[in-house]
Amino acid sequence: MSRPPLEIAVRRLRPDEEEPDRLPLRWSTITRLFAFTAPHRRMRDTLLALCVFRAMALPGLAWLVGAIIKGPVQAGDGPATFRALALFAVFFVVADVALYWRIRLAHQIGENVLRDLRDRLMAHLLTQPLSFFHARRHGSLISRMISDIEAMRNGVQNNFFITFVSFGQMTCAAALMLLANPRLFLVLLAIVPCLLLVHAFFRGRILHASRVQQETFSRVTSALAETVQGIRVTQGFAREDTNAGIFTRLVRSLAGNVVRTASLTSLYLPLLELNAHGFMAALIGVGGWAALAGTGTGLGDLVTFFFLADLFFSPITIIGTQLSEATLAMAGAERYFRVLDTPPAWTDKPGAGECPRLSGHVEFRDVGFAYVPDRPVLHGVSFTAQPGQVIALVGHTGSGKSTIIGLLAKFQLPLAGQVLVDGHDLADLRQETLRRQMGFVFQQNFLFAGTIAENVKAARPAATDEEIRQAFRDLDCLDLIEALPAGIHTPCSEKGRGLSMGQQQLVAFARALLADPRILVLDEATSAVDTLTEARLQMALTRLMKGRTSFVVAHRLSTIRRADCVLVLDAGRIVERGTHDELLARRGAYAALHRDFLSATT
Amino acid sequence: MPADPAPPTADARDATLRRLLRIAWSYRADCLQLLGLQLAVVFLTVAVIALAGVGIDFVRHCADRTVPAPALPFFVPADATDRAVFVWLGAGILVAAVLRAALAFVFGLVSVRFLHGRIVVNLRSQVFAKLQQLSFRFFDSNASGSIINRVTSDAHAIRLFIEGVLLQVAIIAITLGVCAAYMFRTDWRLTLACLSVLPFQVWFAIRFSRKVRPAYEENRELMDRMVLGFSENVQGIQVVKGFALEPRVQARFAGWSEAIRTQKRKVFGEVALFWPVIDGLNRLSMAVLIGYGGWMVARGEIALGTGLVAFAGLLQQFSAQVTTLAAVVDNAQVSLAGAKRIFEILDTDPGVATEGGASSPGRFLGRVAFEDVSFEFQENATVLRDLSFVAEPGQRIAIAGATGAGKSALLSLIPRFYDPRSGRVTLDGHDLRRLPLPELRRQVGMVFQENFLFSNTIAANIAFGHPEATQERIERAARIAGAHGFITALPEGYETFLGEGGVNLSGGQRQRIAIARALLLEPTVLLLDDPTSAIDPETEKEIMEAMEAAMAGRTTFIVAHRLSTLRRADLILVLDRGRLAQVGTHAQLMAEDGHYRRAILVQSEGAPA
Repeated sequence: MSRPPLEIAVRRLRPDEEEPDRLPLRWSTITRLFAFTAPHRRMRDTLLALCVFRAMALPGLAWLVGAIIKGPVQAGDGPATFRALALFAVFFVVADVALYWRIRLAHQIGENVLRDLRDRLMAHLLTQPLSFFHARRHGSLISRMISDIEAMRNGVQNNFFITFVSFGQMTCAAALMLLANPRLFLVLLAIVPCLLLVHAFFRGRILHASRVQQETFSRVTSALAETVQGIRVTQGFAREDTNAGIFTRLVRSLAGNVVRTASLTSLYLPLLELNAHGFMAALIGVGGWAALAGTGTGLGDLVTFFFLADLFFSPITIIGTQLSEATLAMAGAERYFRVLDTPPAWTDKPGAGECPRLSGHVEFRDVGFAYVPDRPVLHGVSFTAQPGQVIALVGHTGSGKSTIIGLLAKFQLPLAGQVLVDGHDLADLRQETLRRQMGFVFQQNFLFAGTIAENVKAARPAATDEEIRQAFRDLDCLDLIEALPAGIHTPCSEKGRGLSMGQQQLVAFARALLADPRILVLDEATSAVDTLTEARLQMALTRLMKGRTSFVVAHRLSTIRRADCVLVLDAGRIVERGTHDELLARRGAYAALHRDFLSATT
Repeated sequence: MPADPAPPTADARDATLRRLLRIAWSYRADCLQLLGLQLAVVFLTVAVIALAGVGIDFVRHCADRTVPAPALPFFVPADATDRAVFVWLGAGILVAAVLRAALAFVFGLVSVRFLHGRIVVNLRSQVFAKLQQLSFRFFDSNASGSIINRVTSDAHAIRLFIEGVLLQVAIIAITLGVCAAYMFRTDWRLTLACLSVLPFQVWFAIRFSRKVRPAYEENRELMDRMVLGFSENVQGIQVVKGFALEPRVQARFAGWSEAIRTQKRKVFGEVALFWPVIDGLNRLSMAVLIGYGGWMVARGEIALGTGLVAFAGLLQQFSAQVTTLAAVVDNAQVSLAGAKRIFEILDTDPGVATEGGASSPGRFLGRVAFEDVSFEFQENATVLRDLSFVAEPGQRIAIAGATGAGKSALLSLIPRFYDPRSGRVTLDGHDLRRLPLPELRRQVGMVFQENFLFSNTIAANIAFGHPEATQERIERAARIAGAHGFITALPEGYETFLGEGGVNLSGGQRQRIAIARALLLEPTVLLLDDPTSAIDPETEKEIMEAMEAAMAGRTTFIVAHRLSTLRRADLILVLDRGRLAQVGTHAQLMAEDGHYRRAILVQSEGAPA
């Protein structure tokens, strides 16, 4: 049975996953976004005043031009014309100065608000516990910070103020036309329904089409990102031609969508302009008749309307564009606020105090925990660790080893029982003060962009180069690091890629050690280091664990044999505890695990 | 992240420009079609304005018979009454306007089909195809974000050049030409007077763009820095929290954020200047029009409607075009920069490609030989030195050595991801460079350290190397890899979707799918680059069984640390800083006093008595 032709499969999004890039305008979100301008209220109020001025100034200027033409010019009065022109000049210079300030202040407010939005988001994220980050895709948070905030800039800086001015212009222009000649104004009123009809017909369709376009574009970008990330696999399996075929089909489909959207906008805009020209046609027709009938409509009115009409119609296209962009800003704002409104799943208790200098006594009293309600991961876990002891945690995947460590570091709060250090309940201690006395080497050892030295100094920024070298020396790995092109100043590039996985782990060890922790937490699952280096590390680690209470999620036999106490976990409970030799003699769960270890290493 | 390349020299820019012009020339038929349409649109716009002017003059004439009647257009019958004239004029404007709208619509449609449907599609496909062929060296030295950008945004560069620069300039010229022609016909002195501000506007628009763009570039770099910092802190949030770095992170971020704002503020003074100046100059020319033109009207030299008022309307069209000049200059800069990056990719030598004269010898036996091979990833950082060994068909070769000794490098030479600097690698006696690349790669199966699975079904992933593979074949490969069991246990089985938003498999399961993928092609040579390094020991056991099955009957190269693997190897290559320090079977190497024996003793100290 042959397979259907290959496509880039698309998974249907669940309704709760849908993230539209445009949303209809909602007053509550608009006011909330606007509230961010409050700290800059003087600037904002000046800006609003300028907007009002501009809204009146432009129709005023147009009316003035009309007045000059139908007045002094038609009468052929030279001096009067020049006086009027002088007035016009003063007026438009003032109006342009006002424009300068309107634009400048709008940009400044936009930039100020953006800075506030960014800082707020960062501060909020830092209050969140780890569970928040595990539940979200990394990319989505980046989107909030970049695209959504940028979309909001447009909302604050342009959409609101420009729409305001445009509406004002239209209103003033309409008012002036009404004052000048109510009969001709009726012609204008007749056109307005056509405008609204065109607008209503197209808006929904254009929104939908541009949304489909956006989706296709994301697919193109994802396909591309995957190709780049998986280039080794692509080349390794000689898949280039097949991929190229798929990609071309995708790009053609995108182009099809772009054309579809464009065919709608290509019709929409000319139709809007047609309205303006239609008005002009009606103006000449009706206006001419009215003039002939001698009922007070004169040349002057036609001229005035000619100049003011443009001020009525051109803002319409502008408003249309602004409203359309505003939907983008709205979607961005809603996504942003959703994050901002997510309170941290938990925070330190209000009265939590600073963690005193620890000796390293750790106690778990009947601790229970569940990531998901009704699916407990730990039950009644109790144990004590004396200062300086090495506690090894062993068990199958999912037995709760990493969870115990997470609770110890106060990355989560226990659902039942207590975790105590030196007799103090963790719930009463502030997280950062506790963690400053701990050192970690996790499964994924994340290194920041920067040099090795900068990464190792993370916990102690004031550390000198010599102290950093000493840390590597204590780990008995200094020569491996100095063998690199720039020694401890070798840069780690994107995601630590400049170094091999083994080298990255060494840096992580040094980082943990430099923090001079009272409690050391090690997760050995990543054994990316070769055997010889591993042997050296083991020696060094043993020396360094002296005087510190160490918790090790252990996979290496050598570590377990040296532990003061081995806790054997199964499905969230401690089933056996004791030293390696004691447990072996018991021939229980530990003995079985030990057999597995052995078969893996021989 | 590698630094952005140095700003283009004048020569480089000219070369890009010439190349772009050549590309544009190849599309000249479409471009001319568009310009023709635009010409018609402009004509009709002018017609509408002119007819309105006629209408105004006629009103004036009717009100004051001393003023001469304007020349009526051809479609107004000679014997029409005054009223009828107005109706005819109105109708004429309407018809012209409708025609204009229709042509504008056609223009929009044709231009999008041409620009997006053809140019962008062609370019994106070309760049993508080329991208895939590029050697690993290219991907090693370019950040993935920048590469993605090139295909998505930079692909627009060509379109932007044609649409936003060439066509736009032509449209501006057409509009100015047609409007000016009409105005000249009425009165050349007035025309000159009104257009006198034009040179200033052009100069200002160009100068503006030149000044502001570099400032925006600088801001973009500040933004990049902030984004990178933010992204890192989110990815490494465990480290941030673990080492209580929150206050420092917040302070540093605030610094970047503020820097962006401060730098932008310096630009705003300039940016805000653009519209007021352009607009002010427009008003100035309007004032000139009214003053000078009004004087002419008073002396009866020009008509009020078709002269003054129409001029005013045309001036508006003018200034609308002039303001797009700043955008044109901007587009020119952006498109040149983007085009340069696109051309870079198109011009990059693939590095590793099938050489001429390559012939396919059919199915290989699997005898791999390295003859005096030396290799380096970058200049002066030799990773392999004078490596020589032979692997017979079906043998199992283990590669051992300290971190950084060159094990992965050795493996990547076999499927020709890189070429050695000196020496050669042969397969069944043929130099790898003489073999067709796709064939070579299909007969060398690979399982990497971190296995990348694509966003697609499990079946599609396994069939990656051979998309037309039958379901049976896929299942067979999955069975050998020990994956069939857990796959069928999933609700959608082989059609389960992987990747973002899809099912999350454990590391061990993913690795087994990767093994199945490698096995599907039934390769002669199998490369296993430390496939269990990121796996916990229990899963490792499962994978080891899968790998045993996979290795049967193939020449296998496996990077290994585990004693169990090394014991069963037919040959062990011990690398030390790129050189072959020891070669032999486990027994032979244990008899020698070297790195190997030391490492093994350390590992097995946990063995039972």
